[in-house]
Amino acid sequence: MGNPLGRYLLTLSRLWGTSLAMQFEYQANLLLEVVAAVANLLGSLLLLSLFYGGGRALGGWSWPQALVVLGVYTLLEGITSTWLRPNLSTIVGHVQQGTLDFVLLKPIDSQFWLSTSRISLMGLPEIATGLGLMIWAAGQAGIRITPWLMIQTLLMLVASGLLLYSLWFLVSTTSIWFVKTWNATEVLRAALSSGRYPISAFPTAVRRFFTIVLPVAFLTTVPAEAMLGRLTLPWLLLSLMVACIGLALSRAFWQFALRFYTSASS
Amino acid sequence: MAPSSSTSPSPSPIIRVDGLSKTYRVATKDPGLAGTLRHFLQRRYKDVAAVRDVSFQIQPGEMVGFLGPNGAGKTTTLKMLTGLIHPSAGKALVAGYTPHRRQANFLRRITLVMGQKQQLLWDLPALDSLRVNAAVYGIDEAESRHRIHDLAEMLDLGAELKRPLRKLSLGQRMKTELLAALLHRPEVLFLDEPTLGLDVNAQARVRSFLADYNQRFGATVLLTSHYMADITALCPRVLLIHEGRLFHDGSLDALTQRLAPCREVRLELAAPWPLEALRTYGEVESCEGVVVHLLIRRDALTAAISRLLAELPVRDLEVRDPPIEELIGSLFVQGTLS
Amino acid sequence: MRNTAFSSRAVSSRALRSPKVRPLQSLQHGWRVARALFASQYALMLEYRAEIVLWALAGMVPFIMLAIWIESPAGAALGMGPTQLARYFLAAFVVRQFTVAWVMTVFEEDALQGRLSPMLLQPLHPFWRYLASHVAEQATRLPFVALIATLFFLVLPWAFWLPTPQRALLTLAATFLAFVLNFLIQCTMACMCFWSDRVNALERLIYIPILFLSGTAAPLDAFPPALRRLAEATPFPLLVNFPAQLLSGGEVQIAAGFTALAIWITGLFLLMTLLWRIGVKRYGAMGA
Repeated sequence: MGNPLGRYLLTLSRLWGTSLAMQFEYQANLLLEVVAAVANLLGSLLLLSLFYGGGRALGGWSWPQALVVLGVYTLLEGITSTWLRPNLSTIVGHVQQGTLDFVLLKPIDSQFWLSTSRISLMGLPEIATGLGLMIWAAGQAGIRITPWLMIQTLLMLVASGLLLYSLWFLVSTTSIWFVKTWNATEVLRAALSSGRYPISAFPTAVRRFFTIVLPVAFLTTVPAEAMLGRLTLPWLLLSLMVACIGLALSRAFWQFALRFYTSASS
Repeated sequence: MAPSSSTSPSPSPIIRVDGLSKTYRVATKDPGLAGTLRHFLQRRYKDVAAVRDVSFQIQPGEMVGFLGPNGAGKTTTLKMLTGLIHPSAGKALVAGYTPHRRQANFLRRITLVMGQKQQLLWDLPALDSLRVNAAVYGIDEAESRHRIHDLAEMLDLGAELKRPLRKLSLGQRMKTELLAALLHRPEVLFLDEPTLGLDVNAQARVRSFLADYNQRFGATVLLTSHYMADITALCPRVLLIHEGRLFHDGSLDALTQRLAPCREVRLELAAPWPLEALRTYGEVESCEGVVVHLLIRRDALTAAISRLLAELPVRDLEVRDPPIEELIGSLFVQGTLS
Repeated sequence: MRNTAFSSRAVSSRALRSPKVRPLQSLQHGWRVARALFASQYALMLEYRAEIVLWALAGMVPFIMLAIWIESPAGAALGMGPTQLARYFLAAFVVRQFTVAWVMTVFEEDALQGRLSPMLLQPLHPFWRYLASHVAEQATRLPFVALIATLFFLVLPWAFWLPTPQRALLTLAATFLAFVLNFLIQCTMACMCFWSDRVNALERLIYIPILFLSGTAAPLDAFPPALRRLAEATPFPLLVNFPAQLLSGGEVQIAAGFTALAIWITGLFLLMTLLWRIGVKRYGAMGA
């Protein structure tokens, strides 16, 4: 039978293998994805540039500094396309077709299965451009890239990724009640698009909202601060804490949703 | 109407159900635009009892059929036994576990197959999905290859396992579903309309496979179907569910006897006979020229037949049970036993 | 049964005698179909009230951008004070709500699920169905948009305004035409379904210029002149920027805008009809 961790790791590797195999069944439109990634980046650059010029700055962030934030945002968009969207959109499909039952009957954690069963290559262009932009812009801002800096940034990116996952999973879970809510994730995406800009670009009240209620600040601004060597210990710890709370909430909400599903379905 | 039990409680049933019930709250909507607006502003609900106070026990290795019209509560009962639905009241124990807690060890001992719904990945060959399942259930490479080979032989599957699932016919897909569902050698099989939509040959093959599997591995099989042929071929024991209640728990013959105290006698006479005279032998169902159908009570059958043969110019005589579908159908239409 | 047979015979003989009756009949018929379609789609939309609310919320990008624009000195440099910015972005939100279209998604799904063939067999172009569902959804959205606008004015009372009657009328006309334009863009691209299996990559692509060039995220006045000329060569600014400027009382070239709308709508309509004809033939040939 093997130990549980080994079983989960083996399952994961096989799930991803099959998922990749599935994509090659249909000629993956990688070219269109690259075009979309570039177009998105250009558009974001355009919007950002409207606030600069004439010696102005956005929220006290210089142009290269703001580009680091945009880089983190692009990177997170890539992670969404690679990992979050392929998986969490399957939840809606399962609920609609009644195949969620099969997932629940497997002797493996359902949240794990639904969160990891798919992986897509479509987000790779955005991950690459996001990382590239981060590193280039940091250089332009006069930052020396040291190993310690990279470790901090990586840590914050991981926390940011987990927080993003929690938000997506929380929203996708609502499909158990609403069934047709592939558009709930659209609301999330619209809200998260505020992450293109440094948090200080917003008025104070909105800033508080985006830190406490919907933690967009932790998604893009905090990793950008890490990259720019400005991360302080309280913020680092706070970011890790927020990620853990997010994960715990997503789990609790999922269990709650399952209890509803098993009581209400016919 | 109390259900008639054919077996007295035994020392170690693998499935024990006690007073199981399930009630749903459903939103109701009046038709028309006014109804739509009212529904939009304030939803109204009513309680629907899907399963009412069902109790039974099943021994290991039994093959049991759930019979009943659509919406009777068969699938709901089945899902409560697999733990997919929380019961509103009552208890169920399957292989010693409480199903709705969905413990990993419980999940390893059962399997659910649903007609026209698949767990296998659509775009890939079944073998790829099977590898994932093997990892999930913790079956090692060699053992899983061995089991796949065995099951494929029993199911008459070969190259189909290597083709993408979407390219197989419905019958072949169902067979690969069965293979995937049985890879981990569960002790209890729950099958919800497994032959739904299959052609006659495919249905027959699935049935013979299930009987075969039950023989070889001694697995307990619970099957819901509204194809009588499934039930008559596979299930010596039948649970009839009607409007959420357990109506009958016993053999199919016992059910027939219970539902139809009469048997049908078909007579072919040498010459037409007056109706009033025929009526003295039993109830005349139909009389067309020389062909007469009579309904005669079972206890009076032998006496009546000897009289018929002695007193009438009988050319041909046939005794049969009314088809069980008709009996059950008419039962559900009337809602009572005659 | 007998009555309709009698009346249909009467109709046909009447029709032979006076051809003038026919156009009126087809108009009545068309109206009946439209009413039936709308009623059923409206009932359907009301079933999914949660989804409608979410769709309205998904249009929150103008509000996010407003927050940044108000805080940044860039707006003032444009000559747009906070009041003007607030009015523009609220107008952009409202306009976007009533011009959004999603034909590509539903069309692709219907084609994949095999629901297209029965639709093609009916004497009603499938796009009329989609139009009915879009209009029905807009009708369902109206209360939520009104609610959001009210909340907006509660939070920013200094931005409150009511458009002049002429502006209001012009806005209605421009919004309606912008919706038709967006709908046609979607329909034209949806025809791609006849050639390719998966058009959702194309769909993702079309939303990019809509987000950046239509005026949803920033008024076109803020664009550098060269970029602005480029954007105005596309139909996208007509979708949001033009009606929103009309509504919020900003400076806008009214005649040029409406002319551009007319040209783009006509052009796309012709293109779409052509693509549809070729596509349906191909669809039939493939043995759908």
